[in-house]
Amino acid sequence: MRGLLGVGIGLGVLLAASVGASVAFGSEPVALGEVYGVLGHKLGLSAAPDPIVERIVWRLRLPRVLLAVLVGGGLSIVGVGMQTLVRNPLAEPYVLGISSGASAGASLFFLGFLPPLLSTALTLPLAAFLGGLGTLVVVYAVARTATGVSVARLLLAGVAMSALMASVTAFVTFASPEPQKLQAVLFWLLGSLHRTTWGTLPAPAAASALGLVLMLALARPLDALLMGDEPAHSLGVPDETVNRGLIVLAALLTGALVAASGAIGFVGLIVPHAVRSVVGVSHRRLVPISFLAGALFLVWADVAARALLPEQQLPVGIVTALCGVPFFLVLLRRSEYAFG
Amino acid sequence: MLLKRSSRRFIHIARRRSGRWNTPCSALLLVLGLLSAACAAPEPMPPRTVTDALGRTVAVPDSLGRLVTLAPNLTELVFAAGAGDRLAGASTADDYPPAIDVLPRFSALPLDVEAVAALDPDLVLATDQVNNPGDAATFEALGLPVYFFSYRGLDGMLESLRMMGRLLGTEAHANRTADALAATLDSLRARSDTLAARPLTLLLIGDETLYAFGDESYAHEMVALAGGRSATEDLGAEAPILSDEFVLTAQPEVIVVAVGPDYDAARLLRLHPTWDVVPAVRAGRVHGIDPDLVLRPGPRLVDGVKALARLLEPGANS
Repeated sequence: MRGLLGVGIGLGVLLAASVGASVAFGSEPVALGEVYGVLGHKLGLSAAPDPIVERIVWRLRLPRVLLAVLVGGGLSIVGVGMQTLVRNPLAEPYVLGISSGASAGASLFFLGFLPPLLSTALTLPLAAFLGGLGTLVVVYAVARTATGVSVARLLLAGVAMSALMASVTAFVTFASPEPQKLQAVLFWLLGSLHRTTWGTLPAPAAASALGLVLMLALARPLDALLMGDEPAHSLGVPDETVNRGLIVLAALLTGALVAASGAIGFVGLIVPHAVRSVVGVSHRRLVPISFLAGALFLVWADVAARALLPEQQLPVGIVTALCGVPFFLVLLRRSEYAFG
Repeated sequence: MLLKRSSRRFIHIARRRSGRWNTPCSALLLVLGLLSAACAAPEPMPPRTVTDALGRTVAVPDSLGRLVTLAPNLTELVFAAGAGDRLAGASTADDYPPAIDVLPRFSALPLDVEAVAALDPDLVLATDQVNNPGDAATFEALGLPVYFFSYRGLDGMLESLRMMGRLLGTEAHANRTADALAATLDSLRARSDTLAARPLTLLLIGDETLYAFGDESYAHEMVALAGGRSATEDLGAEAPILSDEFVLTAQPEVIVVAVGPDYDAARLLRLHPTWDVVPAVRAGRVHGIDPDLVLRPGPRLVDGVKALARLLEPGANS
């Protein structure tokens, strides 16, 4: 446990430093002194900053960086949950189609394609949740066999549902009166953080906190599930209940995150894998460390997205896919990878 | 198939030509002419060949009675050149001038080659601003000549208008229109040259996603002629998407959004709440403009400059 504390504190400090450093990056050059003058002023340490710099740093960049923290961390723990559920390291919200499903739900809602009765009862994150949940239930039902979850079926069902949901998103966007169709499709399918304001943050923050708490509370049953449903069952773990709970939690968290940022892929794949190789498979360590590492990863991926093409608002999902897909292929190739 | 096509085409032309000769005598002459053509089979007049703006050699038939344009700005250029009555169809993107409303429609983006061929044009007019030069080969394979325009800027537009006149045989009309447009631009230039203050102007193509005119765009020239300075003329990208912080830093004195003339300025602040400190927003100098006057590089760009000039005047109502 001492090692865990060290890694946790180290990552926490690194994340705080990264959040501080990344607000200095943006399409417009702002002197470091002025950037930290704004943060200092908010902490009551320095005089009132220039109103323009204040808006850039405090109202445009900081919420965006904080959303990167929540989305990166949240998707990583969803990745952990999915990988435990199907006992395979290739599972991930994007690969399994949850993100695309949430995206489809969100875009159906956003573009006004749901029947009025339904749309008045929903909010954007709730629509995303239902889209993600529906997709995951289908994928899981297809992949499940009498002896467990078939990896081949799982990945194929995930790919198929992902493509289907992406088509739904693209179709409704093109069928809508939305004037900037291509941009809207790119936002929902590739994920982007550039629309973030402070008002975007509460739903992803609440969902991430809930996910973190529940996953930590379930750490022991989750550890048992790694051995298989049968052994877990014989240890007194209500395996079916935990499995269902994981599915709903994954859809809930992914829905809240996708509603705010679109479908950002592969974070939930890379991060838990890398973290497992350092702290092992125990969920008590894996969950919090994955959250911190995922947050750190997405904060810097977004800095890269802003720096690579500053005049084009590059969606951050492109950066994460560029990093994630090669990683996914290596994992697929390395068949000896196993849990516990 | 091709044979059938070309014979249908011939009949079509003969039918159209016969419409012009409406006395029995000329009809008889036509029949005789056709008979003699069938017997003697003289060499057809060689079509003139011209080089288009992409350097392609195009065989242009003598009779250009049926034209098709693949982009709305070319449609407007054809009308400005005085040959609008010869358009055989209009693309679904066309909405000006109103005379096109009666024409059959086809899709230009994505290009519906079949629908264009069905209009049986004598010449297809395209521009590399919108159309894919690779499509020329598709039309050539169908025996349809395609002339490609390629131009940038207001001067390029006027030069293309004159070229359109030479191509379609309406040179005098086209030159008259071009001269009048050039004179209007000259007077706008003379007016803007005398201005003491030239407001920094941000011309936006969208208000939610901030598309703007970048590197070497004609839009900067329009803003300058209208009496302003364009805020995006130094950007490296050709079609940039601006960030909110770019606009905060650039501090434009006027913002013109090309989504329609009756733009709601409050909407811009709603979408970009941090812009309350931008001078244009503070001074109430956020205006809308008809997108076709600035986005469509045709003869109405001159109207676009005039509209911009009105919006850039201090005290212009939004």
